[in-house]
Amino acid sequence: MSQYGMIIDLEKCVGCHACAIACRAEWEVPTGKDSAERERRRNWVKRLGPSKTPQGLASTYYPGLCNHCDKPACVTVCPADKVEATFTDPKSGATKKMEVAATWKDPFNGTVQIDKERCLGCGACADACPYSARYVNEEEGDPKADKCTFCVERVAAGLEPACVQTCLARARIFGDLSDPNSEVSQYVKKGAAKLESAKVKIGPNVRYYGNKKDMHLLTTTCTPQAMPQANLRRTIMAHMLKPAMDQVKNLGVLGLAGAVIVKGLSEDEKE
Amino acid sequence: MALNLTRRKFLQTASLAAATAAMSGCFANRANASTPFVKKPFTAPGSFADTKTAVGGVCEMCFWRCQLVGKIRDGKLVKLEGNPKSIDNGASICARGNAGVKLLYDPDRLKFPMKNVGKRGAPQWKRITWDEALDECAAKLKGVVDKYGPHGIAMFPHGSSATYPMGFFEKVVGTPNISEASFFQCRGIRDMAYVATLDTPPDENVDMANAKAILLLGGHFGENVHVSHVKRYLKGLENGAKLIVVDPRFSASAAKADIWVKIKPGTDTAFLLAVMNHLIKTGKYNKAYVEANGVGFDKFSAGIAHATLEWAAKTCDVPAKQIKEVAELLAANAPNVSIHPGRHVSWYGNDFQRERSLACLTGLLGAIGVKGGFVKGKGPKVGKAGGWPKINEEHAEAHALHKMAKKHPFSPPGTPTDLIREAAITGKPYAIKGFVAWGQNPIQTIPDQEMTNKMLQQMDFVMVCDIMPTDITMYADILLPESSYLERYDMIKPGTQWDLSGKQEQYISARMPLVSVTAADHERKDPVWITNEIAKRMGLEKHIPVQSMEEKTDKALAGANLSIEQLVKEGGIHVQPGADPYGSVLKVNFFSQEVADAGFPGIPTYIPVPETPKGYARLVYGRAPVHTFNRSQNNAWLVNEMPENPVWLNDESAKKMGLKDGDRIELVNQDGVKSRTTTVVKVTPGIRKDTVYMAHGYGTMNPAMTVGVGKGIDDQSLITKRAVDPETGAHGMRNNFVKFIKNGKVLNIPA
Repeated sequence: MSQYGMIIDLEKCVGCHACAIACRAEWEVPTGKDSAERERRRNWVKRLGPSKTPQGLASTYYPGLCNHCDKPACVTVCPADKVEATFTDPKSGATKKMEVAATWKDPFNGTVQIDKERCLGCGACADACPYSARYVNEEEGDPKADKCTFCVERVAAGLEPACVQTCLARARIFGDLSDPNSEVSQYVKKGAAKLESAKVKIGPNVRYYGNKKDMHLLTTTCTPQAMPQANLRRTIMAHMLKPAMDQVKNLGVLGLAGAVIVKGLSEDEKE
Repeated sequence: MALNLTRRKFLQTASLAAATAAMSGCFANRANASTPFVKKPFTAPGSFADTKTAVGGVCEMCFWRCQLVGKIRDGKLVKLEGNPKSIDNGASICARGNAGVKLLYDPDRLKFPMKNVGKRGAPQWKRITWDEALDECAAKLKGVVDKYGPHGIAMFPHGSSATYPMGFFEKVVGTPNISEASFFQCRGIRDMAYVATLDTPPDENVDMANAKAILLLGGHFGENVHVSHVKRYLKGLENGAKLIVVDPRFSASAAKADIWVKIKPGTDTAFLLAVMNHLIKTGKYNKAYVEANGVGFDKFSAGIAHATLEWAAKTCDVPAKQIKEVAELLAANAPNVSIHPGRHVSWYGNDFQRERSLACLTGLLGAIGVKGGFVKGKGPKVGKAGGWPKINEEHAEAHALHKMAKKHPFSPPGTPTDLIREAAITGKPYAIKGFVAWGQNPIQTIPDQEMTNKMLQQMDFVMVCDIMPTDITMYADILLPESSYLERYDMIKPGTQWDLSGKQEQYISARMPLVSVTAADHERKDPVWITNEIAKRMGLEKHIPVQSMEEKTDKALAGANLSIEQLVKEGGIHVQPGADPYGSVLKVNFFSQEVADAGFPGIPTYIPVPETPKGYARLVYGRAPVHTFNRSQNNAWLVNEMPENPVWLNDESAKKMGLKDGDRIELVNQDGVKSRTTTVVKVTPGIRKDTVYMAHGYGTMNPAMTVGVGKGIDDQSLITKRAVDPETGAHGMRNNFVKFIKNGKVLNIPA
């Protein structure tokens, strides 16, 4: 069992935005905002300051991406019908079966992934993320939730994540947090911090390392202070959808009733 | 958002619910799933899947020219990456490099030769054939040459695509009136001042990776990104180098600095003189180096004796003890110190003296040829090929405006921009009636846009060749579309490993096309083809040195016993053993007889700049990490990262003015010129009260740039007061002052 993670070393980062653009190229991420006004991005850099901190004037960066959390808020809210999936540990070959919706946390590498085929594009997961790490990609007509995958596809092919490869500063370090000898674990020992607060403790696996004033600026301005309020309307609809989905699954064909229900939901939301 | 679960979706869900699959292979084979629909992939496959790798790319999103590979799927470039074989940038490229894909496929790119049937500045375009375009360009240019002489043509080039046509106009046609932005609005002052002092242009050759201390005067790395350059800087910092940043603003580099000198803009030379005077007075300079290699040191030390710490403290508005601290820190780490020469240095019209001071400080510390000091890597020898013969260079020489006027004896190659504009507008000492812009956008590059407009309006003919519809293209009579750096053979890029103390290696790369230029929807051509076709039509065919860019590249490579074929075999980059770069010794002209004889101060001298008028702040500009000059304003990926250029305003001033962070404003300058567009305020304690700052390269006015048009403010539009560096003739662009306008109300900036 591994837990992939990433360290952002703010001592090295120069805020050049190459990571954000390399990611956009790699995964053809569209620009602009989705229809719920979320930034369409998997990966971002926000410049912070110059601002006063107790340690003096500071300016640094918030390079952000999906935290692949220990307790991902996005996974539990997914309304898609659950199916059984078999996961395989690439190291030991061990397998594990799990009931998963359209998004899940991988039991062997700890990454949070999305099955685009079964994603409904409802955006519930994106709403649930306190880090705003998800958006809904509506480019191809079928809306689908999208976010950083830690480039597991590239990693499986023996490559570095796209953002890591292009980083001229080597400020992004990717690796296995469960391996105490990994470079990322060494950073954890040196004090690399999670962006967590009293009310947001879901175990992010992206950590930040930097000097006191930069870390002060980062943590005071970029740590989410509350879990997002569940969008009641969307939650209700997600629950209403479930029976419809089950019916579809059971019948294997689309019933007229189902179509009517869904049409009604869709129009209701547009009000 | 709507759930938007359509009937189609439902059918899909129905069939998929029973099926399985997924990206990570955790589901059973989904190929069994039956669905009546042909599904598009919901996720891009990734640049590494089903792609071919094209080698031999050399980036031109900026002039640093990192080596690239292209990931190609179905003939389309999907991603650019650093060439893993590179010993310079490695697999890394910057944001702009990564966004080259978006330039290549920008739908706003120039596609066909166009004729302006409207007015210059307010064009109406009519598509014409290449034959029509070339016939007209050649006839009009020849007309100007026949009537006014070769010097009747002015050329404003930029970038590697302009090298070949520039050679044609200078050497064969014979005009001296060439204004390279990289010289006259950028680094020419630095190069000439270092030549006068150390007898060599410095480029950015300081060995920061191995320095114990680094001094940056306005350098803002991180906001200003050139991959191997920033790698050197970061390696130095990682190894514990002390960083001193002199800047009125808390820049990206100031944020990493040990000492931030919050200097009053324009007074840098006073600061440097005081540092040097302190080192001399306290005996903390490298006496051995100065005695062995210094020229005119006694005169120099006497001449700067007035520059006390207290004098500089008052002049520069920084504490005397901080200036002393900087001097002592440099002395303690000498000679392993990087005194960075800067790059864009055309600031205040007194810049030659500042650059001379930097070179003298380098010599005073003996920071030459040693680890961390001023050291040039020893690159490979590569032949030059495909250059035009010098047919008419004597004519050019005899008509050089600065020589005729006996001005600017330290002008970099070409002719100072303002002498060209003045001659064109006044007709004295001669008329300039033909104008060629090639890759340069003088509108957003050169101060005083109205003067540029006047110059252009009086021309008999204006020709522009570019990739994008930049602002200057609006003034073209004939507009020619050029192939980009990803579609053509071009220049040779030699160099060494990025860390001078690393394994000594040299590399040779050449720009080769990563994708084919053939496409149904455009007729773009490369600069060799375009120039040759014009040369033929001007009756100058016999001087044509090469028939194609490929031939030019192959010939140049032959000079290094290489070929295009061999280079491709080697992955786009040839690497060979290098030579130890350390150990060089340079003579240092502390006092320069040459400069004195020309009527300028032979000892580096502080020349005060105009004070900030009451109610205004000085407009200072710089780089954004996602833009290069004004060239990337329409790149959809880059614009998305930083859509505007906020104006930095001191927080205390903002409070008094009633401005909040994010407020939308306009700017008006000391001449009453208002910004065409708006931007937002960035309220911060990280800037002096007498200074405001914004990133350069925003606010294009050309509606054909559909992504970038009107976004942010064009800083150049507010730089109406010109300053000219007397030694070099290069511009100074930081002597303009602005006020804010919010909701139509002009707001004074408190002192």
